[in-house]
Amino acid sequence: MLDRRRLAIVAKVIGVLAIAVVLQVFVVSQVSVLGVTADLFLVLTTVVAVTRGPLEGAVFGFMAGLVADTAYLAPLGVRSLVYVIVGYLAGLAAARLAFSSPWGVALLAGAASFGAQFVFGLFEFVMGPRAAFLRMLGTQMLPEALLDGLLTAPIYVLLVRLHLLPPASSEPSGPGGGKT
Amino acid sequence: MPRNKLAWRRVVLVVLIIASLAILTVSFRESESGPVHAIQQFAAGLLSPLQTFGARAAQPFKDGYEWIRTLWSAHKEAERLAAELQKLQGQAVKLQEQAEENERLRALLDLREKGSFPEGTQFVVAKVIGKSPTKWQAWIQIDKGSLDGVKVDQAVVGATPSVGEGLAGKGLVGKVVGVTRHTAKVLLIVDAGSSVAAKVQGSRAEGVVEGSVSGRLIMDYVDRDVVVDPKRVVVTSGYGGVYPADIPIGIVTSVGEQDVNIYKQIEVQPFVDFRVLEEVMVLLVPGSGLEGD
Repeated sequence: MLDRRRLAIVAKVIGVLAIAVVLQVFVVSQVSVLGVTADLFLVLTTVVAVTRGPLEGAVFGFMAGLVADTAYLAPLGVRSLVYVIVGYLAGLAAARLAFSSPWGVALLAGAASFGAQFVFGLFEFVMGPRAAFLRMLGTQMLPEALLDGLLTAPIYVLLVRLHLLPPASSEPSGPGGGKT
Repeated sequence: MPRNKLAWRRVVLVVLIIASLAILTVSFRESESGPVHAIQQFAAGLLSPLQTFGARAAQPFKDGYEWIRTLWSAHKEAERLAAELQKLQGQAVKLQEQAEENERLRALLDLREKGSFPEGTQFVVAKVIGKSPTKWQAWIQIDKGSLDGVKVDQAVVGATPSVGEGLAGKGLVGKVVGVTRHTAKVLLIVDAGSSVAAKVQGSRAEGVVEGSVSGRLIMDYVDRDVVVDPKRVVVTSGYGGVYPADIPIGIVTSVGEQDVNIYKQIEVQPFVDFRVLEEVMVLLVPGSGLEGD
């Protein structure tokens, strides 16, 4: 019985990821707001981490990162690494701070997005051309964080209403975080 | 939370990080034809039709969004262009005015060079700054006065856009009847109180050209036995001391005779169109003119 429940959860999470791929490739990547495009994979990693816990967030982030790198034809593993950390930390933060309102989740996603962009920026700075890091802060990192944060609130509400994900816990948990 | 579960989560996290780093390392170290790249390219190939379709489907929405986004800037741009257009229209009008003024001044210069004026005559070009408010009088006010050497009873000539050849459009305007330091009043030859000693070129006819309230010029005191043909040019005769000789006045348009009148009635069409007169030239003939008021 327990295994079926777990399988259902895994299936739902995989379904969310599949939907994310379609939406990101089909819709989100076509729309540019404030000069940037929202990162649905990161948004969903945060939402999964907030609702299911840090471990699930990390696993989802790993898979989402692989898919994203594949879709963007980027070096495999970069996003996986970043999203794993984002998923884990977002899950921990949500468990400790008990973010349950959509705007709280949005705030967390915005912060996660900024952190991820910061790491991507560092990666580009080290590996790629010496881009103007401070300029990217204003033109890429902050707008992207704002956009991702704003996009998170409705997505979180929608996924919870559709029962694809449970609502975030409103009570702080222990140092490990996550759902028991 | 059980300790082993917490440890398990940390282990999974470390494994995922190591896996990511391993994939990343392989991805960087491997050549483009390696298996990881091949898998990635295969997966990307599966997604590419979706991306293409997505791009096509999203295009109308993107266009709509761009349209809305650029609406405000387009509105501001339209306002800016309208202001610029207004400014350019103002400049065009100004340039047109200047071109017309140039033409008029050139005509005045032409009159000065081609006309026969007494030796030592100086010319003061003046702008018309006022006109008589009623048709009962015909005078203009000019922007040159006694400080410019203008005196009462000096002749004034002018040029207006010509419709014919030669001196058409250029001719006698009137005489100065009042002077201040910076302005002067010029009585036009079409004023009912104006009289100019004149002669008809190509004939012995001499008389006095008088103005009228109708704006027509009548040449009076021409003997009936003198033959005057229409289309002849009427010029000043130089008698009377105000107007120098041979300044064109106008052209004969009709010659009439009345049994009760011993003189011919000759109607003269002035060369100058007083309705559009904007610049004139005051003739400073040596020894002419009286001191103004």
